[in-house]
Amino acid sequence: MRQAKDDVKIRARAEDRELLRLYREEGDTVARERLVQRHLPLVRSLSRRYAGRGEPLEDIEQVGAIGLLKAIDRFEPEREVSLATYATPTVLGEIKRHFRDKGWAIRVPRALQELNAKMASTIDRLTSKHGHSPSAGEIAAALDTTPEEVLEALEVGSAYTTLSLSPTPGGDDGGSDPLDAIGEEDLGFERSEDRASLAPALGSLAPREREILRMRFEEGLPQTQIAEQVGLSQMHVSRLIRKSLAVMRDELQ
Amino acid sequence: MAERIALDAPLDAAFGPVVRLIVGGIAERADFGFEAMDDLQLAIERLLAEAGSDGRVSMTFDLAPGRVRATIGPLREAGLAGALQDPDASSGRLTLRRILDIVVDSFGVENVTDGHIVVRLEKLVAARL
Repeated sequence: MRQAKDDVKIRARAEDRELLRLYREEGDTVARERLVQRHLPLVRSLSRRYAGRGEPLEDIEQVGAIGLLKAIDRFEPEREVSLATYATPTVLGEIKRHFRDKGWAIRVPRALQELNAKMASTIDRLTSKHGHSPSAGEIAAALDTTPEEVLEALEVGSAYTTLSLSPTPGGDDGGSDPLDAIGEEDLGFERSEDRASLAPALGSLAPREREILRMRFEEGLPQTQIAEQVGLSQMHVSRLIRKSLAVMRDELQ
Repeated sequence: MAERIALDAPLDAAFGPVVRLIVGGIAERADFGFEAMDDLQLAIERLLAEAGSDGRVSMTFDLAPGRVRATIGPLREAGLAGALQDPDASSGRLTLRRILDIVVDSFGVENVTDGHIVVRLEKLVAARL
């Protein structure tokens, strides 16, 4: 029984490789389409993990299929792994990116939204007043709420909402972007092929995000100083750092 | 007064916000400022992101006067220990090690068995930012 299963797997891998060869060497797009069809069950299976989060399953599957196409185009047949193994992180990365870009479609209570909207200016005001970043308790006292609600509001703002990497006109940081002028100059961080390095994905970020990462992780500047230099709130700097690192990680998957 | 909080969670990015919320609560109890809290959250988030997405992960947080210590693992991602221990991975490259160097006061691989590792992170309350 097990032998039979192994034989099926080996045959499937050989068929994948032949289809890949036809597509790569002879430009046979029908072969590519057949590869897609053969691996759509994998996409459906991975997509189901993200069902029930406010996005129709069909949409998630379509996004996953884009990841599958990318994996087919990037897969090197000489690799020791199967196409399915190789495609899995690419499909998941595409789905995660979709959710991140679109925002987690959850209903956020209005009170938390309002609290979140006040957070950035309160943190900056208290930092300026006390000379250090305020604790959640201090922020809560200033906003007449509890530390737990402060943490929840921070999380709602940073994890669940759509957060553009560009400044929001009229948002808490105003509409200006002092780093727009940076252009494409070399912003440090040696580009490395090292597995542990995110640097190869730096190119996927806007100049402003790259500059913020350089200030934080090359110069070692605290968020408060970076915020002052780039003219954003500390909270916005924090989110840009987190989001940039996540985007780069997805890019490498 | 020393306190210990233990958490067992799926190693899945979908639970990232839950972990962040709990770490935030722990940091708040330790009187961390916003930035120190954010640093600890980021350290754990990046470590878990590099640790794969299958299985579960245990996290233990020890709060003592002046510090929070997080012990995370076992993690089975191949190459993670090397990425954390490689002395060349610290400067000039945006590596996990470089990120941890900046956002926590100390870190290390405490235990390696059968390809699994346990990572310790420490953030000092005294370094209040």
